[in-house]
Amino acid sequence: MNRILRKLFSNTTSLIGIILLIIFIAIAIFAPVIAPPLSEDHYIIPRMSWDINPQPPGSPMSDEIRDVYDYMGAKIKYDRAIFGTAEGGYDIFYGLIWGTRTAFKIGLITVSISMLIGLFIGSISAYFGKWLDEILMRITDIFLSFPFLVAAMVLTTVLGRGLDKVMIALIVFGWMGYARVIRGNILSAKEETYVMAARALGVKDNKIIWKHLLPNTIFPVLVEASMSIGSMVVTASALSFLGVGAPVGYADWGQMVSFARNWIIGSPGQAGQYWYTVLYPGIFIVLFVLAWNLIGDTLRDILDPRLRGEL
Amino acid sequence: MITNNKEPLLEVKDLKTYFFTENGIVKAVDGVGFKVYQGEILGLVGESGCGKSVTAFSIMKLLDYPGKTVGGEILFKGENLLRKTDAEMRKIRGKDIAMIFQEPMTALNPVLTVGFQISEALLMHFKISKDEAIKKTIELLKKVGIPMPEQRINEYPHQLSGGMRQRVMIAMAMSCDPILLIADEPTTALDVTIQAQILDLMSTLLREFKGSLIMITHDLGVIAEIADRIAIMYAGKIVEYANKRTIFYSPLHPYTFGLLTSIPRLDIEMKRLNVIPGIVPNPLHFPEGCKFNPRCRFMTNRCKEEEPQLIQVEEGHLVRCWNIDKVAEEVKKELLVGECEYK
Repeated sequence: MNRILRKLFSNTTSLIGIILLIIFIAIAIFAPVIAPPLSEDHYIIPRMSWDINPQPPGSPMSDEIRDVYDYMGAKIKYDRAIFGTAEGGYDIFYGLIWGTRTAFKIGLITVSISMLIGLFIGSISAYFGKWLDEILMRITDIFLSFPFLVAAMVLTTVLGRGLDKVMIALIVFGWMGYARVIRGNILSAKEETYVMAARALGVKDNKIIWKHLLPNTIFPVLVEASMSIGSMVVTASALSFLGVGAPVGYADWGQMVSFARNWIIGSPGQAGQYWYTVLYPGIFIVLFVLAWNLIGDTLRDILDPRLRGEL
Repeated sequence: MITNNKEPLLEVKDLKTYFFTENGIVKAVDGVGFKVYQGEILGLVGESGCGKSVTAFSIMKLLDYPGKTVGGEILFKGENLLRKTDAEMRKIRGKDIAMIFQEPMTALNPVLTVGFQISEALLMHFKISKDEAIKKTIELLKKVGIPMPEQRINEYPHQLSGGMRQRVMIAMAMSCDPILLIADEPTTALDVTIQAQILDLMSTLLREFKGSLIMITHDLGVIAEIADRIAIMYAGKIVEYANKRTIFYSPLHPYTFGLLTSIPRLDIEMKRLNVIPGIVPNPLHFPEGCKFNPRCRFMTNRCKEEEPQLIQVEEGHLVRCWNIDKVAEEVKKELLVGECEYK
C-alpha cells in the first residue's frame, strides 16, 4: 500500500491528477467560503439578474434582485458574477463551485454503489459457478445490451427529475463492468492452491471470497472505478444537458452547460460573444475527468505487472 | 509401529473418483482401498497423474466439478465421510483432518499475513479470543522452528524462504491438532537439506500428538525415511501394498521393481540408470487388461486380456500382478545385489 502511494506521488502524470483532485476537493469543502450561499438551499444557484441574455464576467447583481434579497432580509455576502451569468441570470461561478460538490456526490456514490453490486454479483457468480454463474451472467448480459446513455436517460425520464434519480439510473446500468472484471479475476484466482488450502482448513465460503479472494483480485476493479468516477460525472452532465438530469437551477455542471446551449455560437455578427457560458463549465468538467483518469492510469500502471515490466 | 488388532483411524474402501470431462470419463481413482491406523505413516507413491493427489482430495471432499467421487466408502473413525454434508465436512477439515500442500509458494495467500492465516483456522474451530489465537499461533511457529515468531506473524509469505513457508504450512495444518494429516508432496518444492529438516519436523510432531499421516510423494527416498506402510499406485489403482521393508526388499510388482531399479546406486557398477520404458497411459484410453502391460518387461498374453486383482500374497502384502514368481526371481538377481543395506 505504501509502495502504491509512493509511486502515485513520484509519477508526474499522477501528481498532476492528484493536485487537480486536491484542488477540486478544496473547492468542494470550502464552497461556502468561496461562494457564500444566498438562500436556504445551498445548491440553488442564485440569479444575478432577470435578464434572459447571459451577462459578461464581472457584472454586478442587478438592483431588482438586490431588492428581493433585501426584502427577504437576507444578507448579501456576494454580489458580483465573477464568471458572468448564464441564461436567465444564473451565476456561473456559484454554479460551478457548488457543482463540484454535486460532481463528487454523483461520482463517488454511483461508482461505489455500483462497484459493490458488481463485486457481489461477480464474486458469487465466479466462486459458486455452475447454474448460478449462468443465471447471473445472463442477467449481466441483458443489462450490458442496453446502450448506457440511452438506458440511463430513459430510466431517469421514467423516474422523474432529480439528482437521486440520475444516480439510481447510473447505478442500475453501471455495475456490469465491475461484475465482469471481478468474475474473471476470481475465476482464475480460485484455482490457486491457497484457496484449496483455506478450504482444507475448513474456512467458510463467504470468508474465502471476502478475505482470501477479493484482496487478491480487487485492484483491476479499483482502477476501473477510479477511471469511471470521471465518466460518471460526464454522463450525469450529459443527462442534465439533455434536460433529464438535475432540476433547473440546481448547482450541477451539466446544468451549467445546458444553460449555455442556446448561446454557444454567440449572436449574429459577434461569434463567441457568450464564450463564458460554455468555457468555464467545460473547463471544470474536463479537468475533473482528467484528474480521475490520470490517477486511474497510474494506478493501472502500478498494479499491472505486465505494464510494470516485471513479467 | 504397525498394529493390526485395533480399528483403523481411516479406512478407504473401493474409492472411485471420476472426472466427467468433455472428452469422456477420466477414471482418476478407480477402486483404491487402504487403511491408516493411529500413529501410522502411510506412503502413497506413484508417478504424476496416477491419482494420488485425487485420492487425497477425495478424502477431504475438496474436489470440484468435473471431479466426483462416484463410489466407495471413506470411513474416518467409523463414519463415512462421503455421507457428510458440506457443513459437517467443514468442521472436520482442519480440525480432524488437515492437509499440507505441495507448493508452499502458492499455498499461502500472498496478501494475508502469516499470523492471520494460521490463526484463521484456530478462530474457526475453537471458541477462543483473538489474543489467545495469536498466542497459540506464536507457540505453533516456535514449535515448527521459526525464529522470532513474534515478528514473523506480521510478515507476508513473500518475506519468507521456501523452507520457512513450508514450516508455516505445517503450522497451519497442525494448528487444530488434527488426528490425521495428509501431506501432498510436502517436500517436492524444497531442496534436499530443507527436505530432510521438514521430514524430521513432521515426524517429530507426529510422534508428539500421536497422529497419523498419509504421505503422498513420488520420491522413494522420502518414503524410505518416513513411512511405515506403502501403497504404490499406478493409473488410478493400487498395484502393491505392503510395509516399508517388504516394498524395498522384496517387491512383487514389476512397477515397484522398476521404480526401485531406477534409483541411482552408489554400491554397484552401473553403466546406465534403469528406466521404465513408455509413458503414463492416457487416462481416457487405458490399455486392455493390466494397465501396466505396455511398459512391463514381464508381460504375457494374459496381462493383455485380463486385469489382475489385488491379491494377498502374505500377511499385509497385496499385489496386483499375474507374474509374481518371475518378478520375485528378478528381484533377487538385480535388486538385492551389492553391499548397500536398506535400512
